[in-house]
Amino acid sequence: MGFRNPWSYSFLALFTLFTLALMVIQSRSYLEGYTYTTGTMLTLVLYLLPLMTILLSSFSLTAEKEEGSWQLLSTYALTTSSFLLGKYFGQALVLIAIVCFGYGLSGVIGALLGAGFSFSTLLFLLSFSICLILMFLGIAMLIGALSKNRWQALTWGVSVWFFLILAWPTLLISALSFVPYTWIKPVLQVATILNPAELVRLFSVISLGGGSIFGPEYYKWVNWFDSPFGVVGFITLCFIWISLMLLLAAFVWERGRRHE
Amino acid sequence: MSKMGLRMTRAEKKIDKKQIVHPFDLSIEPGEVVALCGGNGAGKSTILRMIVGILQPSAGSIELNGLNWKEQRVEYLEQIGYMPDHFQFAAGLTARETLSFYASLRGVPKAKVDDALHAVGLYDARDKRVTQFSKGMQQRLLFAQAIIAHPSLVVLDEPTNGLDPYWMDAFVDLVKGLKAAGQSVIFTTHQLQVADAAADRAIFLMNGQIVESGTIEEFRTRYGALGLHGAFSELSSRPTRPVATPDPGSPSSSPLSDKPGKVAVKIKGRSDD
Repeated sequence: MGFRNPWSYSFLALFTLFTLALMVIQSRSYLEGYTYTTGTMLTLVLYLLPLMTILLSSFSLTAEKEEGSWQLLSTYALTTSSFLLGKYFGQALVLIAIVCFGYGLSGVIGALLGAGFSFSTLLFLLSFSICLILMFLGIAMLIGALSKNRWQALTWGVSVWFFLILAWPTLLISALSFVPYTWIKPVLQVATILNPAELVRLFSVISLGGGSIFGPEYYKWVNWFDSPFGVVGFITLCFIWISLMLLLAAFVWERGRRHE
Repeated sequence: MSKMGLRMTRAEKKIDKKQIVHPFDLSIEPGEVVALCGGNGAGKSTILRMIVGILQPSAGSIELNGLNWKEQRVEYLEQIGYMPDHFQFAAGLTARETLSFYASLRGVPKAKVDDALHAVGLYDARDKRVTQFSKGMQQRLLFAQAIIAHPSLVVLDEPTNGLDPYWMDAFVDLVKGLKAAGQSVIFTTHQLQVADAAADRAIFLMNGQIVESGTIEEFRTRYGALGLHGAFSELSSRPTRPVATPDPGSPSSSPLSDKPGKVAVKIKGRSDD
């Protein structure tokens, strides 16, 4: 049903325009691996995609409450977890289709103009985007479960996005100034797990060989992601993060169901 | 007593200490049609929402065909078809796609979708988007959704809202068809002529309390040709006189009717009625 949602097409248009803009940035870069240009592109994707995921998916859940369809669905022999999992995978499919279309179109146009992304860069951006979508979808499910209507979801969604994407570095630096010097490294390592955007960005940059930009504080993360267990470890962390968010969302949703 | 049918025992609903529905008993036998009548805010929809599991009763028990709503929730819900009062269909889907979605949740084969659309007169509009439907057409599609899996209890909240007179008559025929198939039906309505034509029994509610209950024949005997309209006029003009839950063993509790299995609501403190 997500494919029939007009909002999906608005985001599709926005994301396609966005990837075309990224293509223009990329056309000035001739280096492979992690470069300043790649970093800029990652940051731009990081700004747009989590917000898009949170809003589209949390609205999809609150719409079920507002339009009465959840009330009807709850009279079916349907468990809360299967409902939320269905929503999660359905929304993931829609969002992944949007980013595939966006990158695909800019790849084709770039190839025609002879100044687009290389295939490896496109593949890298796509994997980075899919990771972000899957992680932030978990957050969106929790926001949708907590919110009674679209306005609440919008407020929660923008706040979480602002906190995790825009304010995170500043808040982290401020918070670290209060902890003893020897605690800085372990606190940073734990803080990275708490922010899915940071975790995905760190893994992506390290995978491209740009781990040195993070400085010595992230040395352990760089070493770990570079090790043979790096990819498996990253996937496991993502899986735990998503499962935790979905479990929380199911708990909140079920509690609301039982308290009616 | 037979375990088949719906049994609500001392069910009540409180929200934030406010008594929305006072304790009551209600039984519906297989193949019986019951109409819940009363003004806005009387508690009709709350009772239906408790039956279908949307609202939890604050006290009391609800069983359908021997299945407890809480302990055997999945099996219990599989026996119910529900048509809500307020509902907005998903944008962009056609009538057939919408009904196919709900049919798949009930494990009903897609072939039955067209049959259900035929039954409610929407077969010719099957490929039209539901958002283009009139209120009456949406009501008929919701009705089709409620009956598609042939549930043993069909629960309808204001099913005739927005229906034209032709479909009002068709609704009565559809309900009679369900009754003939052995399915029980409970519905709320403001339109007493619909209750009169479709139901075996009517229950009047005021301020969350059952104030009058009986078979349609009993209402006709009591109020003459006016039937349910006569009962409603009289109830509206007098202070609330609840037909409350009986006190077990109370000598003043007596059934409104002695027909077995027809009326389970009893009057407390009104043995003269």
